[in-house]
Amino acid sequence: MASSQHVLLSPAELSYLHSSLSLTPPLRPDGRSPTQYRPLSAETGILPGTNGSARICFADGTEAIVGVKAEVEKTKRRWDDDTIFSENNHHQQQQQQQQQQQEGEEENEGRNNNDEEGGSSDWVELTVEIPGYRDDDSGTVFLGQMLSEALLADGGFVKRLRINRRFHWKLFLDILLISPPLSYPLPLLSLTTHLALLATRLPKLKSEGDEDPFFDDDWAAAPYLYARDPATKRVAERPPVTLLVMAVGGNIIFDPSKEELAVADVVLAVSVGDDAQGKGEDRMDVDGSNPGRNLKLLSIRTVDPPSRLTPPGVANAANSAYGHAQVVNTGANQKMPEARQTESEAVEGVWKPPRGGAKAVVMGALVQKVLVRGGVADEVLDALEGVDTS
Amino acid sequence: MASLKRSVESDPLAANISNKIYVRSTKSGKVQKIVREVYLRRDIPCSSKLCQECQHQMVIPKDALGKPIPFVLSDSPAGTKVFPQGHYLVPDTNAFLTAMDLFEQDSAFYDVIVLQIVLEELRNRSLPLYNRLISLTKSEDKRFYVFFNEFRLETHVPRLEGETVNDRNDRAVRKAVAWYGQHLARIKGKSVPAIVMLSNDRDNLKKAKQEGINACSLADYVKQLKDGEKLLDMIPETQDQDQIKEKRPGDNLYPEYFSMSKMMTGVKNNLLHQGIFNVSPYNYLEGSIRVPAFPKALLILGRENINRAVDGDLVVVEVLPKDQWKEPSTQVIEEDAITKNENPDAEESDDFVSEKERKALQEEVKRTHSKTTEGHAQPTARVVGVIKRNWRQYVGHIDQSSVSQSAQQGRKQDSVFVIPMDKKIPKIRLRTRQVSELLGKRILVTIDAWDRSSRHPSGHFVRSLGELETKAAETEALLLEYDVQYRPFPKTVLDCLPKEGHDWRVPQSLEDPGWKDRQDLRDLLICSIDPIGCQDIDDALHSRPLPNGNFEVGVHIADVSHFVKPGNAMDAEASIRGTTVYLVDKRIDMLPMLLGTDLCSLKPYVERYAFSVIWEMTPDADIVGSRFTKSVIKSREAFSYEQAQLRVDDSSQQDELTTSIRTLLALSKKLKQKRLDAGALSLSSPEVKVQMESETSDPIDVKTKVHLDTMSLVEEFMLLANTSVARRIYEAFPQTAILRRHGAPPKTNFDELANQLKVKRGLDLSVESSRALADSLDRCVDEKEPFFNTLVRIMATRCMMSAEYFCSGTQAYPEFRHYGLASEIYTHFTSPIRRYADLMAHRQLAAAIEYEAVHPSTRSRGKLEAVCKNINVRHRNAQLAGRASIAYYVGQALRGKATEEDGFVMKIFSNGFVVLVPRFGIESLIRLRDLAEVEPQAEFDAENYVLETKGSREVRLELFQKVRVRVTDQKDETTGKRGVKMELVKAY
Repeated sequence: MASSQHVLLSPAELSYLHSSLSLTPPLRPDGRSPTQYRPLSAETGILPGTNGSARICFADGTEAIVGVKAEVEKTKRRWDDDTIFSENNHHQQQQQQQQQQQEGEEENEGRNNNDEEGGSSDWVELTVEIPGYRDDDSGTVFLGQMLSEALLADGGFVKRLRINRRFHWKLFLDILLISPPLSYPLPLLSLTTHLALLATRLPKLKSEGDEDPFFDDDWAAAPYLYARDPATKRVAERPPVTLLVMAVGGNIIFDPSKEELAVADVVLAVSVGDDAQGKGEDRMDVDGSNPGRNLKLLSIRTVDPPSRLTPPGVANAANSAYGHAQVVNTGANQKMPEARQTESEAVEGVWKPPRGGAKAVVMGALVQKVLVRGGVADEVLDALEGVDTS
Repeated sequence: MASLKRSVESDPLAANISNKIYVRSTKSGKVQKIVREVYLRRDIPCSSKLCQECQHQMVIPKDALGKPIPFVLSDSPAGTKVFPQGHYLVPDTNAFLTAMDLFEQDSAFYDVIVLQIVLEELRNRSLPLYNRLISLTKSEDKRFYVFFNEFRLETHVPRLEGETVNDRNDRAVRKAVAWYGQHLARIKGKSVPAIVMLSNDRDNLKKAKQEGINACSLADYVKQLKDGEKLLDMIPETQDQDQIKEKRPGDNLYPEYFSMSKMMTGVKNNLLHQGIFNVSPYNYLEGSIRVPAFPKALLILGRENINRAVDGDLVVVEVLPKDQWKEPSTQVIEEDAITKNENPDAEESDDFVSEKERKALQEEVKRTHSKTTEGHAQPTARVVGVIKRNWRQYVGHIDQSSVSQSAQQGRKQDSVFVIPMDKKIPKIRLRTRQVSELLGKRILVTIDAWDRSSRHPSGHFVRSLGELETKAAETEALLLEYDVQYRPFPKTVLDCLPKEGHDWRVPQSLEDPGWKDRQDLRDLLICSIDPIGCQDIDDALHSRPLPNGNFEVGVHIADVSHFVKPGNAMDAEASIRGTTVYLVDKRIDMLPMLLGTDLCSLKPYVERYAFSVIWEMTPDADIVGSRFTKSVIKSREAFSYEQAQLRVDDSSQQDELTTSIRTLLALSKKLKQKRLDAGALSLSSPEVKVQMESETSDPIDVKTKVHLDTMSLVEEFMLLANTSVARRIYEAFPQTAILRRHGAPPKTNFDELANQLKVKRGLDLSVESSRALADSLDRCVDEKEPFFNTLVRIMATRCMMSAEYFCSGTQAYPEFRHYGLASEIYTHFTSPIRRYADLMAHRQLAAAIEYEAVHPSTRSRGKLEAVCKNINVRHRNAQLAGRASIAYYVGQALRGKATEEDGFVMKIFSNGFVVLVPRFGIESLIRLRDLAEVEPQAEFDAENYVLETKGSREVRLELFQKVRVRVTDQKDETTGKRGVKMELVKAY
């Protein structure tokens, strides 16, 4: 699915939209401030048969449901590793380590890490379903890719799924958009997934060490995938969220609507995580007035705005098909920024899709804006914290 | 956004719906969250006969036949001191778990409300107890009612946040008690029974008190009853929270068990092994376990390695490192002898392995070390956990030496040891108030627990069977030990009998449905040959010459399947009993007397239904053809073996019946020869017969059984019939035929015996096939000693596997083989009155010859497998019970007499040897210390099986040696047990 459907707006309307979004402060069609999200309502635990589930409705009528199911799976091991209890072969392992040390320190460490704590990205299976689209539609696959990328980026999430050296949980996330895609659904799906993961519980492990896992049959005893602080009942570390940000002119706009996307210069999907580990250290430096989270950038994807999908009109004069091959051959005008302007000049009041890649400066500014302490990402996470996930 | 969750406010029926969430782990390792909706209702009756409301205003639940289920709880329940108005009991799960025996009492515990939550919890905790409770709820006179509290709106208790499952269940029990109280309080005009909760949980009792509910601990309640004192012993020691002392780690005598998940992981990955734990009958500190991973059993030596496992438990073991491997003990170690005079109260004995035990072990080590060859050591293992306890009720008696003086007088609770009859079971510590009454009695006890800190398991008293050595007590003890169902047949079973009773006759009219497809064989000269006094005559025979020079031979078997229809109560009872059990003076029937000894029994001079197998045979006993038919026969005579033999031998008897018996005899000899040629084994076990005085049925003499030709006559034709039927039903039902197989014994079973024969007599025992074994057994003769051959056969029999019933679909055809009979296929068909397997074979054969339709139960493989499993166990137990009964009566017959007999050394240890006396069919151990006043020094040559004593008495004993022994009976003063005692007179 493309980032947006065709918007039935005339070039003049698009141009108007573009210029009003380029104002400082920008004027958005629905009157939101640039950093304001659409109002949403959310609930968790709607699917009793799942390990965790959530549902979010945006005010514009888009709605998504996410269900999380977990299964115990045997961890793939190195072909020569058939030990059961690590304590039994401790001696042997030490020997191996010594050998490896001779071979090369770096490799050894990497391998060991993988063996002891690490997880693998195939422990999470994520499927996205958008009504009206095939599940192998490039847009749907891309959405799924972005969402799973956020989860898998730093390997922190899969570590939570580790049961012991021999077993892990395999998590199945089923992400369903249940309304027609009125706007690019990435933020909605990401937030719903976030909530569903927060509400996810895994049966309590009773066995110890590397034994075959054995679980408590009491569901009430099942711990959350994201543990709660027993005192405050608050979640210590939160799953990642993916924010959709766009730039128009010099303005940065969060959670763009369908129409806004149509005139975007750059659209970015930025996944941020809650860096709990860094939190403790950083708190010392930060003064109390800024109690924001320590955000961690997990991944960035550029999303093509619709404007990019329409080929720009090229003047016959510059078109090689019309016998101006020599112009191309010299290549001089391509290197010069001025050359573009000669191709087609912007006409006031008529929409013309932007051309060329996003500027690094703009991209930097976008990411900066997302990660700023106490910024939008924080606001979103705070808002989601208000949802009852127990 | 409207919430998708079911909200309480919006839905008027929401109050009637609740849910239950739990985690289910499947065998394949899957873990699922399960959510069940619970629909609550208001029409579950309280089942009190007092309650008009439930009886009239409610739709009373109906059973499968559409009859309303009658109300259970009495309208005038018994009262106690505290509740004189009468009461209903509501026990919690723990009450059932700890004291099921109490609820089975006849004197008290009537009108019990079993809550669904309690029943479910009990099933999860202990399946045997659950089954016992279910049978209680089914018995009409005990008035146990299962109340589905979880489904009744008023008594359903949703789990609160942060509440443990146990607390929630306790609350549910209290809620149900409270509801019953309020519900019955609405009855007008009558005094309402009190509802009493029974619990041993202090917390629960306290909360009940706060909520104003009647609640008692088991002990308090029992004290209110009339014979409470006695019942008090049946409540196991309560491990109250505050009673448990802070145990120091050093106090634990036994190593801790592995966690269940650790064991399962280990077993799955072949690091640990799972199997049934068996204790050696000669040495209570030595156990063995057969595990699928190894061909030979693993040894488990010593108290610490046995680690609280009891014979029969399903345990998990870990193989010990090679330096701890040992040889199986050549010493006899008996628990009563070694742990004699232990004080049951002194639990804090400093050393866990007692001095005497340690000494016995030292001997062991010395012996192992003196060995030059290391190859003999066997792998040993230690128990790391118990998967399933196989504890049952044990018969035993109180060890007199463990009783303190004060206990014999006072009535305070005292600890004593109970020595179980079964030598493989460790002694059980028992707390009782009635020591003085129970001394010298056979008593039934159960094991409750075996803590890490306690040397012996602790148990509680169930009931007394009577004085030691009285016939009634000893017989019941035997039946209990071998789990023989000896209660009279319940009414539901008797209802299945023909209404005519003893007046039942074969219908006169051939039009009667009973005659359908039945052949009229009344004119054949049929007779039966059985042991003297046999009442349940299963089989009868006939033969007659055919015009072509061949013979027609018929075997006629009682048609039990005509009377016992599949699926009814009588069939169910018979399938549970599995077999009739013969004791010396008692027979415990599989089928009610009316059928077994009258209607089915092929009695002479009357017409009876039969199932006939008829062959045409050449004079050389080759079978030309065979057919099977249901029939009506009239037996001309019922002979005893002896009578038949006399008649055959008396050449003056030339009547047709006698000639036909002679024909049968001649044919049977040829059949036998064919069988032996095919490699059938002739095995042996010491068989004796106890002669009873007719009036008092006191045993007066013991006789070895004499073998008569007529016995093998009957035997041969029965074998033939069984084989023919087996072929027929296998052909008709290749997947579900009930057959009997006898596996070829693993070669290693004979290792010991072969070695003994080689070393002692230079004889070779070849065991490649049953034929080779039969031949080599024939060669095992000693000209000077005719009994030697029998002795070897007896010992060889003990190396064999036991035959078993199976369902043909579970094995490949080559595995069907009956090793002992050298028959490719075999089943049991000829004794349906006393064996359930035969009854099943009858039904299958009837279906195979299209006499009747196949009943689902004889077709379902799962059911047949369950039946086979049960009858295999029952069959074995019946044999053991029969042998134990003979052994007991032999002991009684010898009482007060002393005779000198010849015996043979069967087994030799470093500190004793086992002698078999063929005359009495008994074997007994003679220890070195029994040889003389001062225990003689002995040198044991294990390689050559020679034990040579020096010093106070000088004898040289070796295996297979003939010895002269004095046989007396002796009552061991400490154990109160009468046993045969042998003293060595001389070695030949």
